[in-house]
Amino acid sequence: MDDRDEVSQLLARIALRDARAFESLYRMVASRLMAVASRVTQDRAMAEDVLQEVFVTVWNQTATAAPGQNLTLAWLCVVTRHRAIDLLRKRKPDVPLHWQDENGDEQSHDIQDESGSPMEQLLAHEDGAQLGHCMEALEPEPRRALLLAFYDGLTHPEIALRMQRPLGTVKAWTRRSLIRLKGCMEALA
Amino acid sequence: MNWYRNPSAIEQLAAAYVAGTLQGRARRRFEAVMQRQPALVAAVNDWTARLAPLHHALPAQAPSTALWSRITKATDSAPRVAAPSWWQRLLAPVPAGALALGLMVGALVPTLWQAHVAYQKDMELPDSYVGVLATAQGQPGLIISSLRRGKVVDIKQVTPVPVPPGQTLYLWRIDKEGAVAALGPLPNGKWTHLTLSETAEQVFFPAVELAVSLEPVGAQPGAPTQPFVYRGLCGKLWR
Repeated sequence: MDDRDEVSQLLARIALRDARAFESLYRMVASRLMAVASRVTQDRAMAEDVLQEVFVTVWNQTATAAPGQNLTLAWLCVVTRHRAIDLLRKRKPDVPLHWQDENGDEQSHDIQDESGSPMEQLLAHEDGAQLGHCMEALEPEPRRALLLAFYDGLTHPEIALRMQRPLGTVKAWTRRSLIRLKGCMEALA
Repeated sequence: MNWYRNPSAIEQLAAAYVAGTLQGRARRRFEAVMQRQPALVAAVNDWTARLAPLHHALPAQAPSTALWSRITKATDSAPRVAAPSWWQRLLAPVPAGALALGLMVGALVPTLWQAHVAYQKDMELPDSYVGVLATAQGQPGLIISSLRRGKVVDIKQVTPVPVPPGQTLYLWRIDKEGAVAALGPLPNGKWTHLTLSETAEQVFFPAVELAVSLEPVGAQPGAPTQPFVYRGLCGKLWR
């Protein structure tokens, strides 16, 4: 049974108020969702608040799945990332992207650049090899813009500020990168 | 033309939704439209699967041991040794809605029936099974009925739900232990019928609830693969 079947079946049992299925789901996916939430919030306590919110909505059947939506681990990751972005903006609406600490050193909100571990791990994972190959085929700057949006939850204006590029350029980069990714992956399939 | 009728716009917005560049009110509007547009759901499903390895590339991080306690406290979902009693199941949000509807129907039917009997004393209400199912939002969803020894089930769809291409409504029976058994695919329409292989009494006797999920056309699932779109009480209408 793959992730998709297992997560879907646990969610169906949770819809019947099966508390054991709820606990099984938590044990199965919490550490993966924690990774997603921590990456966006850069704060473990806030990431745990995100996870609590996600699991409460799953239990109360208020997660925003549309009829026919595949209820997989990947879907839970997308829900978690959206919740993390919402909570981050709610709690820290004016969080600066760059600031100077008390020693006068430059700091930034997110720390990894495109050469950080997620891309390396993506290429190393068998199931991510295709996507990794296609990501590598993108131009470095558009790829970085896409990863800043995906992993760090940055908006287009924030990415533009971070990369010191015009907003329109950043929007075009992310849009075209996604189209190219799709074309590349379909060609490899 | 609405943007959600334009395949190119659907593709771009679904990609942006999953990639995270669609945020705030735009994302919430997109999610609202997705509830009634299967083409958007299909595109989001594709993009979710396509970008999934990006999530898997992040090293897993164990949350603190206190988090699960916080979640069980917030949801009151700590597993119990005994199965939940019938009244606890009925107090769950959706069954409660269905129960309220069922009670209304239960109160209304005898009253109307007595008035009818008074008018036509030579008639009797046939022994029947009746299911009253609510939608996931608690609205009246389906009314299902069948003669006790009949093999045809009449289904009235009070509130329709979108059924994506390649999927079908699928009827499930839930017994008093909470076990779920497949009854088969349901036709989609305002007023439809389903033919049973056995009598309604044989099929519905163990049922305390009926539920409907969306399943792939032609599949014979052993358990629901998606949350229920309809769920509610099932009972016999005779002494």
